[in-house]
Amino acid sequence: MAVQALAPRSEPVRVMKDPLGNSFEFCYQCGLCTASCRTAFAMKYTPRQVMNLLQLGCEDEAVASGSGLLCTACYSCTFRCPRGVAVTDMMAAVQRRNLASKHADSDIRRFYRSFMRTIERHGRFHEVEFMTRYFLPNPLLLRAEFGVGLHLLTKGKISLNAPGVKNPKAIAAMFRKAEEIEGRP
Amino acid sequence: MSYLYYPGCSGTGTGRECEESIQAVMRTLGVKWTELEDWNCCGAAVATGTSYLLSLALPARNLALSEKVGSDLVTGCSRCYLNLIRAQHYIQHNANLKENVNAVLAEAGIQYSGTAQLRHLLDVIINDVGLDTVAEKVTRPLDGLQVAAYYGCCQGMWTYAQFDSTEDPTCFDRLLAALGAEVVYYPLKQACCGGTLSMSKRSVGASLIGDLLLAAIAAEADCIVTACPLCMFNLNSFQNEAGRAKGTKFNIPVLFVTQLIGLAFGLPPKTLGLQRNIVPPEPLYRKIAAGTAVSSAEAVASGLK
Repeated sequence: MAVQALAPRSEPVRVMKDPLGNSFEFCYQCGLCTASCRTAFAMKYTPRQVMNLLQLGCEDEAVASGSGLLCTACYSCTFRCPRGVAVTDMMAAVQRRNLASKHADSDIRRFYRSFMRTIERHGRFHEVEFMTRYFLPNPLLLRAEFGVGLHLLTKGKISLNAPGVKNPKAIAAMFRKAEEIEGRP
Repeated sequence: MSYLYYPGCSGTGTGRECEESIQAVMRTLGVKWTELEDWNCCGAAVATGTSYLLSLALPARNLALSEKVGSDLVTGCSRCYLNLIRAQHYIQHNANLKENVNAVLAEAGIQYSGTAQLRHLLDVIINDVGLDTVAEKVTRPLDGLQVAAYYGCCQGMWTYAQFDSTEDPTCFDRLLAALGAEVVYYPLKQACCGGTLSMSKRSVGASLIGDLLLAAIAAEADCIVTACPLCMFNLNSFQNEAGRAKGTKFNIPVLFVTQLIGLAFGLPPKTLGLQRNIVPPEPLYRKIAAGTAVSSAEAVASGLK
C-alpha cells in the first residue's frame, strides 16, 4: 500500500503525534502548505499536489518530479497545516527517494553525499573536504562559485583545519547503524 | 546561571563573524557558558535528504551530551536550533523512534533519555539577560539607523520557545529597539532565505534572496539584521546573483544580530568580525556616529533647559 511504499521501514509516519506528525492521508487539500511555500513557484508539483499524489498512490510520479529537492525544510507548511500533517517530513521522504533513484540530478545528489560523507568522516562540517568532493567532479560548478569562494578565503572564512569530534569512528558507526535499521532509501 | 554553548559548524568557517560577535557580546553581558564538549554536526538541512533516522540521531547525540551535564544548551544558529528541537520533540513523543535513535546512539557509546533543555541565543538575551540590561549597556545608541529585523524561517524556535507569536513575532524588533534603532516594517521577516538552495539550486535560491533584499530596500532599511548564520551567509554572499535574478544591483549590508548589538555597546568592529562581512558595513558606522552626535547634542540641549 501507498504509505509503506513511500516510507522507509522505521519511519513512523502514522504514529507521530501532534503538532508535527500526521501522515499525508490526513490532508484535505486546503493548500495552506503551498501558500506558505517559498519555492512552490519552481516546483512541478506544489506541496499540496505532492500530498494529493501520495494519497492517490502515485508516489513514483511525485518522486520523479524532483519537487522534493526544492523543499528548503523551513517547516512553515508543517507548522501551519490545520490537519497536523508533517508536510516537511513527507517532502523529505520524497526527496530521499528521488536522490536514491535514477531521476536524481547528479550534481544535487553529489551535493548531499559530499556533505554527509564529510560529516561521517569528521563528525563536523569541513569546508575544504566538502568542496573537494563536491566541485572536483564538475569544475563548471566551481566557476560559478569562484566569486563567493574568493570572498570566503580572503575574509578568513574557510577553515583549513577545522577540528572534528574526538572519535570520528563512533560517528561513522552511527551512520552504519542507521542504515542497518532503516535500509537504504 | 551558567549555560552550555553549541556553536555549530559554521562558527569556524562561513559564520566566523557570527561566532566572534556572539562571544564578544555575551562576554559584555556577563553571560557565562562553556562549550559543549565533543559536539557534532546537527545534520543541517541535508541529513533529512539522506536518512530520516540520522537526521534525528545526529542532533540527539548533542542533546545526550548536554543532558549529562544538566545545563541549558544554547545555540546561536536557527538551523541547529530547529534540528535539535525537532529531534527532542520527536523523541519525546514517539517511544519506537526513541528506541531506534538510542540504538544508533549506542554505537557512539551514549544514550538519550529526553530531558535536555534547549535555548535559542535570542531567547537567552531577551528573557534571561533582559532588554533592560541590554539597554543599560548601550553606549552608542543606534539613533537614526533604520534596520530590517529578519527573523528567518525556522519558526520552530518561536513555537516551542513559547515566548512569542508564531505568525507575527516581535521579540527581535523589541531587542533592536532597545539599542535605539528604528525597526522598519518588514513583511518578509519570516520568509525563508532558501537555505542550501543557494548552492544546490542557484536560480531558485537567488530569486528568494532577491525578494528579501528588495523588500528591505522598499522598507528603506539601512541594513538587514539576521539571527541565523546560514541566512547571514546567503544574504551576504549572493547579492550579485540575486541582483541578476531581479534585474537590479544590490549592495545592502547584512549584519548578524550580535554584530549590531556589539556596535551599540561600543565594541570595536574587529572584535565583532565586521571586517569579514562580504557587503561592507562601513556606511552604517558613519550613520551611527552621526546619529549619536545628534542624540548627544539633544541631550546637552535638554540638559540646558
